[in-house]
Order: sequence, then structure tokens, then C-alpha cells
Amino acid sequence: MEQDTIRYDSLEARPLPKWLTDQRDGLNTYQPPKLEMKEDRSLNVSFIITGAFILLTVILLTVYLLHKKKRSDTPSQPSPRGKESARFFE
Amino acid sequence: MKPVQIKTIILAGLLSLACTTKVSEWVLLNSLPDKYLLVLYHKTPLTESVRNQNREFSEKISSANVVFRTLSRENIVEPYYALYYNDRLFSEYHNYSELEGIAFSPLRNKIAAELMSGKLGVMLYLKCGNEEKDERGLKIIRNTVSSSPFGEIIPVIELGRNNPEEKHLVSMLLNVESDLKDINEPMLFGVFGRFRVLEPLLAKGISEENIDLMIDFLTADCSCLIKDDLPGINILFDGSWENPLPAMANRILDENPELLHH
Repeated sequence: MEQDTIRYDSLEARPLPKWLTDQRDGLNTYQPPKLEMKEDRSLNVSFIITGAFILLTVILLTVYLLHKKKRSDTPSQPSPRGKESARFFE
Repeated sequence: MKPVQIKTIILAGLLSLACTTKVSEWVLLNSLPDKYLLVLYHKTPLTESVRNQNREFSEKISSANVVFRTLSRENIVEPYYALYYNDRLFSEYHNYSELEGIAFSPLRNKIAAELMSGKLGVMLYLKCGNEEKDERGLKIIRNTVSSSPFGEIIPVIELGRNNPEEKHLVSMLLNVESDLKDINEPMLFGVFGRFRVLEPLLAKGISEENIDLMIDFLTADCSCLIKDDLPGINILFDGSWENPLPAMANRILDENPELLHH
């Protein structure tokens, strides 16, 4: 019935029934999606992220420690509160 | 186990079975045949004798897949009958006697009996009258069917295009597609279910490859795609489709699992 509107020039060119072409092409059944193997990059991504995290942590810690060391190396000035304390004990 | 759980398991089992039922079996068990519409067009009021005649005819075809109606129409000369299938005009009959055997004939009974006996389907070979062409096609069909693992459950039945006893069946077959009446070539119709007829293979299309595809179609798992859009048409037939014998194809598939395809 599907072919009622299809025109053809000769009997040789007459289209085959739809049920037959569907059966031949496997379209009469549900077609599950084709599974294709894709390159798995998750391990690389994981390495990169972990590396970056470690690097960042090391940099931050280094900066922090250097900053702390620098502060401890510079001589500290007496605080105004110290003067007050001294005055208190005079 | 609770009754609800048991019911759920049974339902799940039935659903899983439904998905593996073969096309031919599923259609026979579940697909009701489409109905034809036979209309008597008349201009003048129907006489008492015609009304009696119509009543008698309605009773005669009451169990067939056809609905009979009368319709008054102004623009006609003589009353006539028109047979429709899904809004397509199949045939016109100009007197009551032409309707004789519209819903039953010996060959239709024979085909229905084959289908009800559990056969996979029937290959109905409509010959064109050209002996050379008819023989060539028949030879291919017989060779292909006999070499198929399902060969024993696929009867091949021949039908002459000019067989007067089967004129209604021939007319319906040639209406499966709108251009078939103009093609004088042998045609092979796959018949299955409740007299469902596939669009035919014809002329050089009657090949080993295409016949194998027809058998594949009938033995494939019934998919929703097929259920929703069943190909072909139903033939007008007055017969019972209740309690068919088990499908023979299942036995063959059970014994030969390598034949299973989806």
C-alpha cells in the first residue's frame, strides 16, 4: 500500500515492497544504538589534575613558608603595648 | 510470596514472551482483520424485496470482516454495490448476483485451514496465464521453499488469474497495490495471520533472495514497528480464527536455534 503513490517508468524499475526492503535492511526490528569504542582519556586527565593539584599545593606551601621565614628573620619592633607594660611596672 | 508479587512476575513473563513471538504467530493470535465496507448506493427508496435481500445478505456475511450499508445518492442512474477497504474503492458490482461468494470460496477456506493448522504462512502464487513465465516463477518458488528449513510448513498454492470460482479473491489480491491490475505478470503473495496478504513479489522479483526474505519476515521476532504498521491488506473472509493450533515454526526454531534471528 505504501507504493501507491510511487511512479515508475518500467516494470524493471518498479520498487520492491517496503516490507521486503525493510527486512533486507534490518529495519523491521528495533535497532539498538551502535556502540563505538572511544579513546579513554580519563586516566590522563586524572594524572594531569592530580599533578596540577600537587604542584599548586607545593607552590602555595612554598610561598607560605618563605613568607613566614621572611617575617621571622626581620627584627620585631617593640609594640606600643610593650611600652605601656613597661610604664605599668615603673 | 504476596499475590501482587506473583501477578507481577507472571505479567513480566508474559511481556517477555510477547517480545519473542514470531510475526506470523503474533498476527494470527492478536491482529484483528481490517474490515471492508460494502455499500449499496441507490437513488429511489428500496423495495421490500430488496430490503429482505439485504437482510438475508447481512446475515450471511455477519461473521466476515465486512460491514454492509445502504446509502441514498442522487447522482446515480442505477443502484450498485461498491466495496471499499480503508477508503479505497476495490470493486463495483452492478447486481446482487455478482456478490455471490464475496466472503468465502474454496481456496480461501483451504488457505485459512492451513493458517489455522499452525503453518508459518501460505505462498499464494497468482499466475498470469503465460505458461512460460508462470512455470519459471513456480520453479523458483518450489526450489526455494523446499530448500528452506521452514519448507514443510509453507504450503505453495497456485491460483489462475481467470479462475471464476475465485474472482473475488483475485480481485482483492490485485487491489493490494493500486497498479497490480495493470501488470500481467506472475505474482507471489505471502499470506499469514488472519488472511493478511503482503505486497507481492512479481515478475523477476520472484527470486530466491526475495522469497528467503519473505520467510525471514514471517519467522522474525514481532517488533513494535511491525505491529504498529503491519504491511499488506486483509482479505475479506468469513471464517473463525479462534483457537488456532500451535505455531509449527516454534518447534523448528527450538530444534535449530541457529535459525533464530531478530
